[in-house]
Amino acid sequence: MKHALRLVLAAALLAPAATAFAHHSYAMFDMSKSVPLEGTVVKFKWQNPHAFIEIDVPVKGQTERWAIEMTSPNNLTNEGWKRTTLKTGDKITLKIHPLRNGSKGGSYVAVRKADGFMLGDWK
Amino acid sequence: MKRLALTASLALLLAAPAAAQLGGVTASPPPDGLQEGQSAGYPKGRYGALDALPDWGGIWFGQFRAGDAGAGTPKLKGDFKARHEAYRADVKANDGVVKRSKSNCSPPGMPGIMQTFQYPFEFIFSPGRVTINQEAWMQTRTIWTDGRTHPPLEEIDPTFMGHSIGHWEGDTLVVDTIGVNDTLDLQRGMGHSPALRITERIHLDPADPNVLLNEMVLDDPEALEEPFKLTVRYGRDRNGMLIEFQCSENDRNQIDEHGNTIFD
Repeated sequence: MKHALRLVLAAALLAPAATAFAHHSYAMFDMSKSVPLEGTVVKFKWQNPHAFIEIDVPVKGQTERWAIEMTSPNNLTNEGWKRTTLKTGDKITLKIHPLRNGSKGGSYVAVRKADGFMLGDWK
Repeated sequence: MKRLALTASLALLLAAPAAAQLGGVTASPPPDGLQEGQSAGYPKGRYGALDALPDWGGIWFGQFRAGDAGAGTPKLKGDFKARHEAYRADVKANDGVVKRSKSNCSPPGMPGIMQTFQYPFEFIFSPGRVTINQEAWMQTRTIWTDGRTHPPLEEIDPTFMGHSIGHWEGDTLVVDTIGVNDTLDLQRGMGHSPALRITERIHLDPADPNVLLNEMVLDDPEALEEPFKLTVRYGRDRNGMLIEFQCSENDRNQIDEHGNTIFD
């Protein structure tokens, strides 16, 4: 199923005009770019249409608040996620596809927690 | 005096339901093509026959596989073609980002709702009908299998799901849908006319009983040069459950005045 999810995302990337109807188009994300984000979980929202991670990222003495969109909880469950996977205050590293418009947001690819726990596609 | 006025308006309020027939019970006539007592509204005594139907238990996730869906696109004609070309030019000018005229909390309707790949489906069999529950936008489709016919097209209120009738040919559910709201997309950026007709042949994959196939044919003599065929695959999770989808409770993707999806 993990594989299927990746195929879904790949298909969304390769064929945006094809037949898939997601909650919204993925064209707002730059799926060709992957960037790391390291910070503290502010909020983990486990709800349709998309789960979300809000994360505070320290940058040059300041804090940037990023919003990272995930797929649906049912898809994430197939990847090993649970409502309790992340808690406010957790130190995590994320891999994301950033928004094209440069805003502080992106689409989730993978997560690593401080204790080494990993999910998603780190390849 | 004030109290009297309040009492009077309360009385009016309480009386209103009866006056406006709120809570009134309707008495609908039998559906087209059926006599009283034949419709899905009379299930008693007909549950046993359901056991002869194929095993579609569990929930089903739409799946892409190279060469399946997305192979080819509908061939639009006339105004529909011109509008789609304008849409494509607009997307190109907008850095590949798709604009929307409706909220992202608004579902796609048919045929798109059968092609969602993030949210699973379930198929419920009961006498005279197949109900498809979709996690996406918590949508429900009813396919009447009680033998009713479509009402004349001009009598159908256009809806997101349209009016669907179906019958079983062996283990294949054959569904015919008309009356789909023509403000919806056939595919992203492609419109259709009120004459759209969708035929679906839904059956288990003979090569894999945990795969369900939906062979769809989209026919619209006003918008399409020729009927468009595509096959959608669904994979089974026996013990999976649909998850609640209350879009307004987590609506982080609202639409701005230019039709762009906001990311909040």
